[in-house]
Amino acid sequence: MIARAGALVLLGAVAVWLLGAEYALAQAAFVLTYAIAGLGLVLVVGQCGQISLGHGAMLALGAYAQALLVARGVPAPLAVGAALALGAVGGACASLPAHRLGGLYFAMSTLAFALIVEEGLVRWETLTQGAGGLAVSPMTLFGWRVDAAWEQALVSAAAFAAAMALSRRCVASRLGRAWRALREDEDAAAACGIDVGAAKSTAFVLGGALSGLAGALYAHWIGFVSPEQFGLMLSFELLMLVFIGGARRLAGALWGALVVVAIPQAISLLSEQLPPGIATAAGLETMLFGAVVVALILLRPGGLSARDPQAKGQK
Amino acid sequence: MTDLTVLQVLASGVAVGCVYGLVALSFVLIYKATETVSFMQGELLMLAAFLVLALHEGAGLPLVAAVVLGLAGMAALGAVLERGVLRRAIGQPHLTALLLTFGLGLLLRGAVGSVPAASHSMHRLPLPFAGEVWQFGALVLAAEHVIVVAATAALSLLLTLFFRRTRAGLALRACSENPAVAELMGVSVERMHTLAWALGAALAGIAGLLLAPVTFVHLNMGLIALKAFPAAVLGGMSSLAGAMAGGVFLGVVEALAGLLLPEGSKDVAPYVLLMAALLLFPQGLLSGAGRRR
Repeated sequence: MIARAGALVLLGAVAVWLLGAEYALAQAAFVLTYAIAGLGLVLVVGQCGQISLGHGAMLALGAYAQALLVARGVPAPLAVGAALALGAVGGACASLPAHRLGGLYFAMSTLAFALIVEEGLVRWETLTQGAGGLAVSPMTLFGWRVDAAWEQALVSAAAFAAAMALSRRCVASRLGRAWRALREDEDAAAACGIDVGAAKSTAFVLGGALSGLAGALYAHWIGFVSPEQFGLMLSFELLMLVFIGGARRLAGALWGALVVVAIPQAISLLSEQLPPGIATAAGLETMLFGAVVVALILLRPGGLSARDPQAKGQK
Repeated sequence: MTDLTVLQVLASGVAVGCVYGLVALSFVLIYKATETVSFMQGELLMLAAFLVLALHEGAGLPLVAAVVLGLAGMAALGAVLERGVLRRAIGQPHLTALLLTFGLGLLLRGAVGSVPAASHSMHRLPLPFAGEVWQFGALVLAAEHVIVVAATAALSLLLTLFFRRTRAGLALRACSENPAVAELMGVSVERMHTLAWALGAALAGIAGLLLAPVTFVHLNMGLIALKAFPAAVLGGMSSLAGAMAGGVFLGVVEALAGLLLPEGSKDVAPYVLLMAALLLFPQGLLSGAGRRR
């Protein structure tokens, strides 16, 4: 634990030294925001054992709620509450079939939900301005304008700490035990008197709420939301995040977020070094990202933070 | 709106549905035989169209040779990917295979996208019937729609024969029913996995070639595979015939939604239908007699 904290501090110091404080802090804000969404997905995937292919949509709901409410003069803290609630409602909707199904069918229903949300955001132009997207003003918390990179990082860190505390409580509670039981064996869990459908739905509601929160922060930090930011690619990036971090450990969300935010940046740095004109840059970046994903899964099937590739983490 | 318009819309719906069905078929085939959820069927479809295009226009082969060679290449790619990479995901949770195939899909997509000629423009595959119109009495049908339906029917017949009459087909079926027992009966399960991936990749490739005259060849044509998931689920996920029927059904529903409902509902219809089907018939529409996997 101490070694890991030390590694994180060292990594932070190196990042500040290499990239400059402003840039490093802005990236830290993104890493922490991704980590909040990742935490929501860890509850669903790692604790409850379900696959969600539509978590990007929960972020979209939170981000759009925040953008639209703030633009209409609603104070940011209230809007964040609404984003949380909308994310939770999204989670509840996506997990509607949870009472009847598990596994792959369930994953398909979350995929369908995400695609419906994405299409809805594109089509409901009077509200969302369609594919063109919406500009979002900086966050104002009780008169404090959160604009500088360090302020964004601070708010993200506070939100992440709160999300982590909440997740820890849930995981340690009766609910968390129910999740782990049904992850191991759904029939056995049901035989023990666990309401399997309700437990799955709760995981999705909590996961959706955390993702809604992440979406709200993300909208402010980026300053712009559009439907395509929250498509299937984001859902898969979040799944990668959870996988890399080691799906069963809550702290894994932070490590996973670090890697998922860092990989595209490292790749674009790398492709700048290549001689121009040998290939289309966008295609090359996609290819490299795919290669990194495949390599990571083949080399560490248990996630990056797993001590032993074959070992199963406890929590 | 006349009856003829409806018939023509239905015909195009059935044709597009056949493509959905073929992609769903390839997905279900791989899922049944190897328990691997493949998220790369769309990329395989796109790659096949570009491969045939490159063989025909780039290398100057005649079209028939390019198609045969291209599909053989896809089958080989499927087999190589299974041997080299996907084999490692067997026995792991669904999530591993899902992410692995998604990563491979990104790789393929990026590889095609990094060729400037492929990523910058739309291409036409110069199939002999593309763009023609056939007249049946008062009914006017696009030739590519008729060809798609006919080709799909022929392919379904071939596949049925393969799965019922040949040794390899029977072995593949045995292997998807129960790998352990199949192994005891002398079926090499590993080889069947390779065969399933080769077939799945080639089927996705055929779907790509059939789709090419309808939508052009471009980098995002693989997105159509997202519609194949609802088709596969509607068909019950474990039945090849069901996947095909689910695809055609979706194509028709989509076409009718485009005709009757406001704009945009066409694109959501498959997913709304999928949600509804999962809520109302969680075992799939055609699995009344089937068992749960």
